[in-house]
Amino acid sequence: MTEFEIASSLEEALALVAEGYRPIAGGTDLVVAARTGRAPLPGRLVSIERLDELSGIEPTTEGLLIGAVVTHARLMRTQSVIDDFTALADASALVGSPSTRNVGTIGGNVMNASPAMDTGAPLVVLNAEIVLRSTRGERRVAAADFWAGPGRTVAEPDELCVALAIPNQPDGSASAYVRLEYRRAMEIAVVGAAARVDLDGRGRIIGASVALTAVAPTIVAVDGATEVLAGRSLDPATLTDIADAASRKATPISDLRASDTYRRHCVGVMARRAVEAAFGRATGDPIAVPVNRSTGIGAAR
Amino acid sequence: MTRTFDLEVNGVAYPLTIDPGRSLLSVLRGEIGLTGTKEGCDDCECGACMVLIDGQPVNSCSLLAAQAEGRSVTTIEGIIDGDRLSEIQAGLLDEGGVQCGFCTPGMIISATALFARNPDPTPDEIRVGLSGNLCRCTGYGRIIEALAVDGVGRADRPAESGS
Amino acid sequence: MAIAAESIDRRPRLVRADGPEKVTGTALYTADLRMTGMLAAKFLFAEVAHARITRLDVSGARLVPGVFAVLTAADLPDVRYSAGVADRTLFARDVVRFEGEVVAAVAAVTDEAARRAIDAIIVDYEPLAIVDDPEAARADDAPLVHPHWADYESDPSLVRHGNVAAFSSIARGDVDAGMAQADVVVAGRYVADGSHAAPIEPRAVVARWEGEKVTIWTSSQVPFAARDGVCETLRLPTNRVRVIVPHLGGGFGGKCGFHFEPHVAALARAARRPVKLVFTRREEFIAPDRRRESMIIEITTGVNNDGTIVARRGHVILDNGAYIADAAFFPQLAAMHVAGPYVIPNIEISAELVYTNHQPSGSVRAPTAPQTTWARESHTDEVAAAVGLDPVEFRLLNAVDTAKIGPTGQTYDEIGLIECIRRAADSAGWGRPLPDDEAIGVAIGWWPSFPVASGAYVKLDSDGAGQIITGAQECGTGAVMTLRRLAADELGMQPDDFQIVGQDTAVAPYDVGATGSQTLFNNGRAVVAAAGQVAEQLRNLAADRLEASAADIVLDSGVAHVAGTPDRNVSIIELAAIAARGELLIGHGSGQPPATPEISGTTCVGDQGMAAWVAPQFSCHAVRVKLDRDTGVVRVLEVDAVHDSGTIINHLGAVGQVEGGVMMGVGQALSEGTVYGDGRQRNAALLEYKLQTAADSPTVRTQFVEIATEGAGPRGAKGLAEAPNVATAGAVANAIARLTGERLRRLPMTPERVWEVMG
Repeated sequence: MTEFEIASSLEEALALVAEGYRPIAGGTDLVVAARTGRAPLPGRLVSIERLDELSGIEPTTEGLLIGAVVTHARLMRTQSVIDDFTALADASALVGSPSTRNVGTIGGNVMNASPAMDTGAPLVVLNAEIVLRSTRGERRVAAADFWAGPGRTVAEPDELCVALAIPNQPDGSASAYVRLEYRRAMEIAVVGAAARVDLDGRGRIIGASVALTAVAPTIVAVDGATEVLAGRSLDPATLTDIADAASRKATPISDLRASDTYRRHCVGVMARRAVEAAFGRATGDPIAVPVNRSTGIGAAR
Repeated sequence: MTRTFDLEVNGVAYPLTIDPGRSLLSVLRGEIGLTGTKEGCDDCECGACMVLIDGQPVNSCSLLAAQAEGRSVTTIEGIIDGDRLSEIQAGLLDEGGVQCGFCTPGMIISATALFARNPDPTPDEIRVGLSGNLCRCTGYGRIIEALAVDGVGRADRPAESGS
Repeated sequence: MAIAAESIDRRPRLVRADGPEKVTGTALYTADLRMTGMLAAKFLFAEVAHARITRLDVSGARLVPGVFAVLTAADLPDVRYSAGVADRTLFARDVVRFEGEVVAAVAAVTDEAARRAIDAIIVDYEPLAIVDDPEAARADDAPLVHPHWADYESDPSLVRHGNVAAFSSIARGDVDAGMAQADVVVAGRYVADGSHAAPIEPRAVVARWEGEKVTIWTSSQVPFAARDGVCETLRLPTNRVRVIVPHLGGGFGGKCGFHFEPHVAALARAARRPVKLVFTRREEFIAPDRRRESMIIEITTGVNNDGTIVARRGHVILDNGAYIADAAFFPQLAAMHVAGPYVIPNIEISAELVYTNHQPSGSVRAPTAPQTTWARESHTDEVAAAVGLDPVEFRLLNAVDTAKIGPTGQTYDEIGLIECIRRAADSAGWGRPLPDDEAIGVAIGWWPSFPVASGAYVKLDSDGAGQIITGAQECGTGAVMTLRRLAADELGMQPDDFQIVGQDTAVAPYDVGATGSQTLFNNGRAVVAAAGQVAEQLRNLAADRLEASAADIVLDSGVAHVAGTPDRNVSIIELAAIAARGELLIGHGSGQPPATPEISGTTCVGDQGMAAWVAPQFSCHAVRVKLDRDTGVVRVLEVDAVHDSGTIINHLGAVGQVEGGVMMGVGQALSEGTVYGDGRQRNAALLEYKLQTAADSPTVRTQFVEIATEGAGPRGAKGLAEAPNVATAGAVANAIARLTGERLRRLPMTPERVWEVMG
């Protein structure tokens, strides 16, 4: 029989996690995995979804601090996320269905460490850090370094993800996340890509970052995105180059959802479209969240 | 170790002593006896088990009952307003949005939450709002029609007059 | 032609009588039932595709606390059953032939205890060669799924050999001569994956014994067949088995036949307690013997330069799975769909139903039709292109029509297929300019109405309130709900004056169930006959009271009045009160099913009576799609669905059938397909077996070409529930092909497959 505690403070939660309790928030991964026999429910659970300390979306001088139990539904509707960290809003709006977005949390998504997680690639291109805390103290790990493999992170067993810290993005920067999906709801990314482009005052690309979903054991960043894009206009040759760079970076598997060949091709398409959408946003094109719905990526509008 | 707590469902506090590893769905159906909430997949993939928690639609298969302690749970049995069908219930009925009825409770929960947030949704907003509820009978057409048409058949009326 | 254009809002709507309980959550489905002392059932499934059982030890399960019964094949009568070929037993004996085969069953106080008991069963297997490919399984040296197939009892009309469970062919005219004479010959091979009915309610069964009698509550579309299956396998007379179907959460054919009622009844008898079985979604995917079979379809058509079809040859291989279930007639039905609703003077089409180690196939909404129609209508566009004709023009030229002779020699009375094609093309804007990434495709389809015996009672009680006691089964379509309108019209009353009682084999007369789109077609006739008897009683009572001749009494708006003098009347309520003191108002009806039409010049091998159709239904779907050329993702934007299902009695319900069938067709076209590995389903979950969601749903415009059809159901109604599922996938295919140039000949047309075909 399960031991279950509702944490009334972060300190209590950390103490229980140190004792071996597993944190639970939305339950969309843990409870469902147990009910369908994929993995038994952990014997000791601590419910953390009500902790005020983990529920905030707070602007700081460095950027935005998003509490670990902030839900996808809240992220996709938060104006500062939509305005400044748009790729994360795109991704949040694509997770599952309205009901799963209401309970699924950003912290849960990050700690579950699925290579197909939608929020991972946006966090990488936005240079986010995962804020981990334990009774021993707090540390931050760059999103790019956080995932160790499918279902695995670099967090220690006693560490709780308490927040995501996303730095302020430079002026002239914008981001987008797109994914390949076979239907328009209750879907997992077949592949996906997030892009951030930074423009100078004259609208030229001076920096870029592209990260990929579901084409490797973890979310991966495309090497040298800035080198591919900086100083160039987004003509077909440029877009082909970024698509090729993404496809080269991909080391996908073949599974039920897609073959490795198709994934490799499509992640290039997604990377190109993410760059186009990010660039469009950076130049004032009001591409609504999520890009998949507003421009019909992955399926017609 | 069992856990003892009160669970508020449809405005009634139910005293429970349960294994805290049990899902809200299992407790609603098995302990409280409210079987209007359906189990279609137990995998968070069909929406038949949807309930409102503090007004938000949630798949009750994906949440532990113990996590709902101190929150307000509304099931399909709590949607009816006294003896009158809600406009959404009456609309679905009148416009042919109900066939086998198994997805219907979850569908009504989703629609209720959608209209609470957006009283005048477009057909596409309705499509997205209901996108977590699989229906195999209707193809969604009559459901979307029922919810999109302003006021058609949605006047409050007694529950028993639907036949 | 007696065609009446109908708008959806023109007629008074028939709101479902079972609707209020369904929208308030008070409708009880089988899984909702609870009884004192009730136990939970759980099955041990094979979980391997093909193996010999070398050891089965259930002693550990019996020791698990809370376990009341553990059953295996050893505990039950050794009965081999199934329609057509008796190839199956309730529990595996010696060999398991598909992953969902039941090896053992337990009943315990809780789900958890039942699960622990299942885990405590020891079963060892010796692997056997997995028969995975129905095409290869026909070879002489292929391993046999049923080595003793020749010893099984079977229907003598079936032609079978080795892994071929049933072979059928239809031939007419001279195909060789026809092909030789044709200006152009076009050939194509099409491969369709299997798919599922996937009702949202997983099946559930509750059984309770009282003495020597058992009552079974079950999520079945066919309660009488379920009863008969229990009687056959447990060796009980029909009057000791009562099957009741509470509200049924969809079926789509997946809940036809009998499945697990006898297992649960046997558990309840052994445990001396009521027992409830509820399937998980995964079990719902792997265990039932009703799924849509995969197929390989080869079609060759000879056509003249003027566009007339001269000859067609075809061959279909159907993946039967491990047991025949109700699929014995599928080969001939598939052959009919390869022929299609076209005038073709020379045909020769054969089909083989082949055993494999897959889940058994069986009736799923319009069995065999979506896949064969997808192939045939794809092929039809290819043939039209080969002679330079527009696809709509080509169909108008070759489609069957009133007084024409169809491919199997049946002459059609008044039918509306040509009108269906015209309206669908018009409404879709066929030929209009579209963006580069959009196209419209059309496809036509046909489907039989099935005449079978069916019964009902109608009674009016002392207050004049009516009841229809029917054997018919409501699975969600609303067909049973529509019976109220028929009874009301016979009696000059309102649909709301009637309640439906039924879905109980001990209470109602026989009906074959919610299968074959037959409810209104056959049970409607029974209800009209039963209500007619009550009407006769009312007229006699009114004649006495009003001192008139019974022949002059008219029943209308709740009163009986003398024809021509509405003032001379008496209310039906008053007549009912009089009758309550004497001869009660009770009618019964079944009525004679219409006869199958004659056909000429056709020879059939392995004939299953499918070459001639009573009151055939016709349809044309036009589908507009949008293609993402970079990824192959296709989205269906609009569908025009035009149907000839005869007279439409419940318009709102009929539109619901069409929209639901179209959406299922879109799923089959784009996303629904079973993936096998080692003979086992790899996508037995709703995340990986993708039903279309509300967010994917297109705009569907439905029209009916209404012809009061002679020799059909009440008022000239034909069936409707399956027909909307027939043509959609073919129309989607033809739209995609217009965009890709190269044709994709695999179903479902998943994004990756579409992308591959684009090169």
